[in-house]
Amino acid sequence: MSAQSGAAGQQADHGERSWRYYTEPAVVDVRGLPTAYRRDGRGEPVVYLHGAGLTRRWLPLFDQMARRVDLIVPEHPGFGDTPLPTWLDGFCDAVLHYDELFDRLDLEAVHLVGHSVGGWLAAEYATFYPRRVKSLTLIAPLGLRVTDHPICDIFRLTPDEAGPALFSGPADPYAEYLSDGNEVETLVQGYGELTALGRLMWNPRYDVKLDRRLGRVTCPAVVVTPNEDRIVPRAHFERWTELLPNARLETIAGTGSPTGHLLIIQEPGKLADLVTDFVASVIAGTTR
Amino acid sequence: MSKQLEFYVFHNGAYRWAPHKDVIGKWSRTNFVSLPTSFYKPGFALRAFDEWLESYILAEKLGYDGVILGEQHNGPIGLSGNPLVITSWLAANTERILIAAVGPLLNAYLTPIRLAEEVAIVDILSRGRLILGLPMGIGGQYHSVGVMDPTHARARFREAHDLMFKAMTEPGPFEWQGDYFHVPYVNLWPRPLQQPHPPVWIPAAGSRETLELCARRRYTYQSVLTPRSTLRRNAALFRELCAEEGYETAREQIAYVVMVHVAESDRQARLEAEPHVMWLYQNFFRSTFQDSFPPGHVSIASLRGMAAGGGYRSRDISEMSWDELWDEGWIVIGSPSTVAERLDELTDEFGAGRIVMVPDMGSAPAWMVKKSLTLCAEEVLPRFRPAGAGPVWAREERRAATTWAEWAAAGGEPGAIPEARVQGKGVLDVRTSHAEDLRIPTRE
Repeated sequence: MSAQSGAAGQQADHGERSWRYYTEPAVVDVRGLPTAYRRDGRGEPVVYLHGAGLTRRWLPLFDQMARRVDLIVPEHPGFGDTPLPTWLDGFCDAVLHYDELFDRLDLEAVHLVGHSVGGWLAAEYATFYPRRVKSLTLIAPLGLRVTDHPICDIFRLTPDEAGPALFSGPADPYAEYLSDGNEVETLVQGYGELTALGRLMWNPRYDVKLDRRLGRVTCPAVVVTPNEDRIVPRAHFERWTELLPNARLETIAGTGSPTGHLLIIQEPGKLADLVTDFVASVIAGTTR
Repeated sequence: MSKQLEFYVFHNGAYRWAPHKDVIGKWSRTNFVSLPTSFYKPGFALRAFDEWLESYILAEKLGYDGVILGEQHNGPIGLSGNPLVITSWLAANTERILIAAVGPLLNAYLTPIRLAEEVAIVDILSRGRLILGLPMGIGGQYHSVGVMDPTHARARFREAHDLMFKAMTEPGPFEWQGDYFHVPYVNLWPRPLQQPHPPVWIPAAGSRETLELCARRRYTYQSVLTPRSTLRRNAALFRELCAEEGYETAREQIAYVVMVHVAESDRQARLEAEPHVMWLYQNFFRSTFQDSFPPGHVSIASLRGMAAGGGYRSRDISEMSWDELWDEGWIVIGSPSTVAERLDELTDEFGAGRIVMVPDMGSAPAWMVKKSLTLCAEEVLPRFRPAGAGPVWAREERRAATTWAEWAAAGGEPGAIPEARVQGKGVLDVRTSHAEDLRIPTRE
């Protein structure tokens, strides 16, 4: 893998990006790494850390959150339009990158939201920089070792298997979220992002140190679970809630069919309300 | 035929009692990585081992140039978790035939120093008959043993390679400060018998980087099952790269892997081989994209090339017909004349001087392997050797002196005199101190 493979080479042809929800990202230089991000809304800054995929989009969830907060959605090193740097070799590198990004964006302290592996990253960040995190929202997060409840091996999922696993049901209704441009570029982008994910969590696929370190994260926290997550067993969400000193567990139920790991696109309205209500309650000091 | 070829027998050592691709989905995506061990039956595994190892013993008796074995994990496609362990057995159970471990996976070792030690041991035990192969490891392996990270595979392989050969060839101790390994004292004991190190073969689908390494270090490039046109391109590129290094590629630097089966007639050969060939292609190599190419295992450039078509196995290998396999040069099966002519043609096409022949086709029984190996040895091999000549190991000088007498005649001095202080006697040379009149202290 070359130092800056993946998305970097594609910046020139943004014109072909006609897929649904695509928007042009802003780019900020973070000590040599051109970091793509999208931002909209006013009010309290909320940073959303994405999971492994669904990059290069401004999702309906973001739109709805941006009605109530200043929402910043950066793309992790090696994801979306942020190139994979040679130095990315684990969560610590990503945590330090985000600390510098927050400086570049003049964000003193933020409300941190993370989905899936982005939840893991948000939690890691909070353990290292607890004073910079006003609240923590983890949506279907992975990252813990929970005995007898391993997560699904996302590195081996075939496309046929991935859809039902991610949605806990048929993926067809969500096709518009999953297509991005031509087949070759989709494959290449996906492989590049999976490689960046591998740099973070190929082995091990959990951080045993979180068990102790999460005790440092005393800000208000909420762990959001779908009805039925086929990627991360529910026992993980319960464990997160136990380990975070000031957390509660919330379920986002599906309308008609149960929500799955990609509840972020299955129930964007309910989820946006839950997160922004939570942020508002933290600001008001009325958190349960 | 005037051309000379070397023949190496590459038996898979597969466990053939595994479910067919039509039904395997009940238990596992493929035969790689996660086929449950409930399919593993100790008696059948024992038989697989015996058939596998007996084919190597037979290969020496029949006069093949060498034998080859690989490293596989987590499944029935080969029961050789550590090829150096098996070559150690071969070193003890054969006399002269060349033994190629192609090979240990550098990335499956926590440190290449462990591998360097194993290589040195087997090289000594085999009296300098070891050939060392260094594959990157197929994608499935990276899912298997828990220490292999595909996102670092190439960089770690490069460093491990450099460290291992420095350990073998340069005086120790020295310190190694790398990105992946920090070894305060690289100090290899024992050291390989062959100097500067055993010959190296690298199997590769054809990445430029690997071919460059082979050209630079004068290694042998071993093909894998790439399409015929790709192998032709790879071989041409390899020759160019050797020329850039200032030398002409020796034919022996290209080893062509092919499934060979010989019988009395073309018809008889196909009768015997076809079910096993089909078993192999339908069950053995079949893998998902995700398993074959774990993240980072291929470069983005190679991936683009593959996706655009015409790349590494773009055809679903499990759907290939007999004729397609023949056309690709993946099977060479027939009467002795047919096989000899086809091998002559294909090795000319690739410029290959070594044939790595797979005799078992994954599932052929020992008797059939024996029959084919025997016919091939008696009726094909002689056509590619000087008149009346035996295998390469019977013609060439041995790669290292193998007896104590030879080493003594060569006048090798020990590094130090073994001495001991004995109470009341002073320091004695222990080699002679058991004799009363030689018990003269070397110092007080």
